[in-house]
Amino acid sequence: MDTKEPKLLDEIKSKFNVEGRIQRERRIWISIDKERLIELCTWLKNQRFEHLSAISVTDWVKEGIFEVTYHLWSYKDKILLTLKTKIDRKKPVIESVTTVWEESAQIHERELHELFGVKFKGNSDLSPLFLEDWHALPPFRKDFDWREYVREEHYDKEDGREVVYYD
Amino acid sequence: MINQMEPAPKDTEYDLYFGPAHPGSGNFGVKLKIDGEIVTSARADPGYLHRGFEKLMEYRTPIQNAVLSDRLCVLEPLNWNLVHAEAVDELMDIDVPERAKYIRVIMAELSRIQSHIIWYGAFSIGTGFDTGFKMAFGYRDYVLDLFELITGGRVYPAGYICPGGVRRDLPNGAMDKILKVLDQMDEMIKLEELENPALDARAKGVGILKVKDAIRLGATGPVLRGSGMKTDVRKEEPYEIYDRLDFEVPVRREGDAYARYIIGIEEMKQSIKIVKQALEELPEGEVIAPKFKKPKVSVKIPEGEVYVRNEVARGEAAVYMVSNGGSTPYRCKIRGPDFLHMIPVLEHLLKGAQIADVPAIYWSLNICPADMDR
Repeated sequence: MDTKEPKLLDEIKSKFNVEGRIQRERRIWISIDKERLIELCTWLKNQRFEHLSAISVTDWVKEGIFEVTYHLWSYKDKILLTLKTKIDRKKPVIESVTTVWEESAQIHERELHELFGVKFKGNSDLSPLFLEDWHALPPFRKDFDWREYVREEHYDKEDGREVVYYD
Repeated sequence: MINQMEPAPKDTEYDLYFGPAHPGSGNFGVKLKIDGEIVTSARADPGYLHRGFEKLMEYRTPIQNAVLSDRLCVLEPLNWNLVHAEAVDELMDIDVPERAKYIRVIMAELSRIQSHIIWYGAFSIGTGFDTGFKMAFGYRDYVLDLFELITGGRVYPAGYICPGGVRRDLPNGAMDKILKVLDQMDEMIKLEELENPALDARAKGVGILKVKDAIRLGATGPVLRGSGMKTDVRKEEPYEIYDRLDFEVPVRREGDAYARYIIGIEEMKQSIKIVKQALEELPEGEVIAPKFKKPKVSVKIPEGEVYVRNEVARGEAAVYMVSNGGSTPYRCKIRGPDFLHMIPVLEHLLKGAQIADVPAIYWSLNICPADMDR
């Protein structure tokens, strides 16, 4: 392995007092509190992590948290760095990173707002993206019962051909 | 006394809906606000092909998901097979046999060639050059014949590249047939490269994307390379056997539709080079890891998380897979290149463009709504 991954990780650890690990060549994973997220993101952007590859949310329903992950790629160092931060599932609000990665962050956050119901504070456009007239629970949450939803929205109990879906 | 004329109401502004049933545009629309001939603002309207793959995959085992991953992009299913298979391989710590790695690369590059052919065809018809479209789809069929021979499916390989390797070995005579098809692809590229003043006039200087904007908007792959950034996941983060292969990354500085179109042609040449090298060095041996040799109903995925990136024909593709130890992934985030190309990049490029240039810009981005909506 190159020396650049440990060097970068040490630098982040000493500056921000966070936990992190190197999974393999070119892969660093870091956990950070949501309060310090923007500070770290801004610092990383200045360290040439220019490409925001993706933002994702994992719904840990038993623990009652949403885990928001930011996957950043540096064209200069050729490292993929993942930031993980946890937010309360009952109050899913997090600061938006549009101030750092602008449009590319904006569209990822808009998608996650629709599919998980996470609010990104500071994102100017969180209007619906894929779904039309959606009134149920955000569909990618673990507690969204899609079978139940399809039965209620699209099937008719009185219809002889569709009654089998209610057994 | 002559009354002064009342100023004319501003009736040059109107809305235009581009798509969503436009032939070939796929299931995708763009709402355009137009003043006279100029597009003043554009807003992408995705969602016509949203099938919720990320959720579907949470309910299925990796072998089932391999089949599902075909549908992530209609035009390059084998490349998406590969991203998904690599994520499972890394998560389960599986040693993929050498021969399987070579076959994976051969199939992925053939898939890239036929995807770029469609790109050329769609770009041609978008700019009013019908011959190019028909030529492209004619030549693409040679590659589809190969897919039928090797995977059993012409368009969808039904998870040919699966976790652990590939589903079956190359059949007898497949190598000779691949070489023959590559000769035909050379022929096709020669035709593509013929000077075409009409197409040049429609594409040159149109839809210029500066490299700074491209990075900010999240562009990757041919779109970013067309703006002058030399980057390719196959070079920067070699997966499978790409570190052993000799190929170049074509780059253009102009950043216009024409540059992206030339990148497509150059990449086809490089892919042909890659397939030839891989065929020459193809080793003997098994094509699937022992763990997946016999079809199993359920395989436990060890706890953990991986982020796997690949270079597909359209740009950077990635899968973020999280497992909590069950037989299905707990979360499978799919990052498609067109999610960025078709929303922020397209909106940015269309703003201020002439209405007649909209198709040229649209097609030059190598668009596929399937991997945007997922």
